[in-house]
Amino acid sequence: MIQELRVLPPLAIARFGAAATPLDNYDAVVDPERPLGHRALRPAETLEVDVESGEIVRAFVPERLSFVEDGKVRPVAPFLEVWALTDGGQLEPLTTELLESEGASALELRWRVQVANHKVSRRTGVEADQVEADSGEFSDHTRRPLAGACANFWPGQTIPFGHVQFITPTAAHPEVRLRFTPAAGFVYGASTTPPEGPPTDPNLRSVVYDASPGRGTWLGYQDQNEPTITVPGGIYAGDREGRSRGYLDDGCDGLVRVTLTIGGEKLSAYGRVGAGPPTYAPDAVPIRTVADELEQALLGPTVTSAEATPERVEEIVRRAFETVRLMNTAAMNQGGMAAHDQGQGRRRDPIMAPSLVDAVALENLHQSLLVALRSGTAPWFADVLRDYDEVGDLSDRGRRKMPAMMRGADGQHLTLTRRQIDLIRTLMRGPIFPGADREIP
Amino acid sequence: MLSRISRHLGAALEPSAVRRGAPAARLAVRVAEVEAEVPPPEFNGRDYAIFLLRVAAEIEHALMVQYLFAAYSLGGPNVPEGRQADVRAWQETILGIAKEEMGHLVTIQNLLTALGAPLNFNREDYPHGSAFYPFGFTLQPVGLDSLATYICAESPKEWDDEEAREIKRRAQADTGAPVNRVGDLYAELLGLIGDQALVPDSAFDAASVTFQASWDEWGRGYREGQRGREAMSSLPDLPAPELLIIEVGSRAAAIAALEQVSEQGEGFDMPEDENESHFRRFLAIYRAMKALGDDVGKVVRPVATNPTTDPAAEDTGEPTDADTPTSIVDPEAKLWAHLFNVRYRKLLVNLSHAFELADDPADRSTLSPRGALIHRTFSEMYHLRAIAGLLVGLPADGADPDGPRAGPPFQMPYTLMLPHAEDDRWRLHRDLLDAAARLRERLTKPGGSGDGQDYLVALAQWDEIERGQVEQLIAGSARALAVNGGPLT
Repeated sequence: MIQELRVLPPLAIARFGAAATPLDNYDAVVDPERPLGHRALRPAETLEVDVESGEIVRAFVPERLSFVEDGKVRPVAPFLEVWALTDGGQLEPLTTELLESEGASALELRWRVQVANHKVSRRTGVEADQVEADSGEFSDHTRRPLAGACANFWPGQTIPFGHVQFITPTAAHPEVRLRFTPAAGFVYGASTTPPEGPPTDPNLRSVVYDASPGRGTWLGYQDQNEPTITVPGGIYAGDREGRSRGYLDDGCDGLVRVTLTIGGEKLSAYGRVGAGPPTYAPDAVPIRTVADELEQALLGPTVTSAEATPERVEEIVRRAFETVRLMNTAAMNQGGMAAHDQGQGRRRDPIMAPSLVDAVALENLHQSLLVALRSGTAPWFADVLRDYDEVGDLSDRGRRKMPAMMRGADGQHLTLTRRQIDLIRTLMRGPIFPGADREIP
Repeated sequence: MLSRISRHLGAALEPSAVRRGAPAARLAVRVAEVEAEVPPPEFNGRDYAIFLLRVAAEIEHALMVQYLFAAYSLGGPNVPEGRQADVRAWQETILGIAKEEMGHLVTIQNLLTALGAPLNFNREDYPHGSAFYPFGFTLQPVGLDSLATYICAESPKEWDDEEAREIKRRAQADTGAPVNRVGDLYAELLGLIGDQALVPDSAFDAASVTFQASWDEWGRGYREGQRGREAMSSLPDLPAPELLIIEVGSRAAAIAALEQVSEQGEGFDMPEDENESHFRRFLAIYRAMKALGDDVGKVVRPVATNPTTDPAAEDTGEPTDADTPTSIVDPEAKLWAHLFNVRYRKLLVNLSHAFELADDPADRSTLSPRGALIHRTFSEMYHLRAIAGLLVGLPADGADPDGPRAGPPFQMPYTLMLPHAEDDRWRLHRDLLDAAARLRERLTKPGGSGDGQDYLVALAQWDEIERGQVEQLIAGSARALAVNGGPLT
């Protein structure tokens, strides 16, 4: 008997793309014979959905991966699955068979998807600048567009946030799923007079925002030094004086809700979706990601000894040199945080000695950490990691801690999460040569 | 080589002090003697300062290596559970001291550069015994006796209480002669360099700073000039190492550098709870290990003393004799030991090559290989640590699997001289990569994992990357010569 419902994964992140066909699945794997190389992208099982019927018509492993189609980026369109917590605490996929055993059918599931983009509102503080889309409740399998509406838009204008589709269960794929396909990744504009014809600004898909007198203030908006402003400030397209150019994007995040009434009892669950830019370096993982934040939020800032494995530390080191690989370290050493620190009252100096910031040499240095770790030796480099309470240390030594030359979400120098650092330190506190110890009788 | 140097240390030096194989040094005697005539015959002041700095460089290099070996010997499966954190802290403390000795070594090279002298990354090897060392060069596991010698070498002149006498007696019993203080050498140098009549102002080349090592380049995340109140974050309550890498462009800077280096070793006047001079830190470990009583042997791995790849050592002496090398005869361990020696040589070549390339502070736009050489120097330190870890897990003699473990041999290369031409220097780097590749191939077991096999796979790729870069630099150097009308045109 179904006790509760779950939507899994609880958070799914889509990536923009204007192509008609979503991106195929893949895994990014490390070649054991080339541990310092780029991760190999290995095609994985992919579900092909028929747009009209909403059915999964094929499950296949692509022969090769293609991130574009007809010159357009293929979007990452995640599936959200409904799972059921049944008697005995068993978590299992909700299928047509399970529904039938409860005397229900897939058509009795009720979906509702609400997503929003509050970026402008977070700056202006104006509720009427919130862009929101609501699919309304639905049970059928047609595509449901998510049209982002906003009180400060010109009449009839919306920003398409993509669409959702309740996948039609079939005999071959009886599971209950919803697919979220994100927007194309377009930029929208603002004007003080009603838009006529295509926008003259080549960056824009269309003009949607009404910045006429007495209406929205986003066009020409300028961050003031107020505590309510999201840090770091000025992260919007602006002119030389920092005045907003009135741009909006079609990114969004929100909730996917599902309900099912069985035997007069209403069961419900929800998951979260978000949409962001495509990954242009799919074979690299940044040194700190949302996943690290979530893991820390879920599991806390410290790890147990059992969790501190060499493999996990190696993965952090690998992500470090993958991050360095994507950085113009010579330029970032002079600008970037070096320039930012000047704004904090520090003299503008390079962060590192300029002779040390050749990107290839830095990547090699980080790779050598991984090589040595593979011998089984405990990590030794915890002293050079920046702690969470050192992000504002603008001394030479403070700025040279790792990770260097990058900005965290708080506008200060980036740190690893406390949990990542504790992982390294916990392993470091163990025997220096644990493998060797096993050898000695 | 020994006699070329020792003959300048004075007639008062006892003959037995400089005999080959004698572990004792007689620096104190030497100082007493040479004070009567400074500089000694055949020197002027500047040249004698260079001579003593070269001796200092060898001592710092030797201390660094011996301390690294000592640190790597700590630990093992027999450490009582309640002592593991202590042992790990002692290990980290000694590693920290070794890192600081490397800072001293680099600062001495800066001093040599400032005086227009050749660099010296040399060091006595075993068979050992030198009049210049505070004690005979011995790679040995940590014990109360070896700690006593380290304490005495780093001790301040005025250290003379009951505990001091006990430790000095223990050190003398271990080495066969009183251990000489490193501080005496620095005192001699300070007197010499501080005397304008002996070393004129013109001897110091301010422009040489661009060729010197700077803390900006070599300091990494370690502390600079901040005396140890900051807890080392990885092991709470343990001060982080303080790397002294001091650029020298004048007499005042030279004096300050020598004073700081000397002070970091002795550090007698600081409050004891700051626990910061090498002397203080070794003394604290000595006291703690002494308190272990009979358990002291449980905190150290049974690593061979003076391990070497040299087969000639097989028939000499007892393996536990501090003066006697222990041959690594287990075939696999021996290959790892050879690979260790190649990486050690690569480290020294990278280090000395980096000094040959100037860092022009006025030119922030051009990247030179100097930075890459500095990074690679650190990378080779990581490799040494990695291979040392594998070696202390392997028997020195496979026929005696429960016998002493092989340890990192730290054998000096046949030469430390760099070729004159830049492209030939890169060819030397390539030669060493080739040598490493030959050893890696012999160590690699097809389909193998564990026992360092994963490390070898990663190391092979890392070396392959470096080799590609070295090939480019060789080609680039050749092209530069051709463009400049050099001999290749």
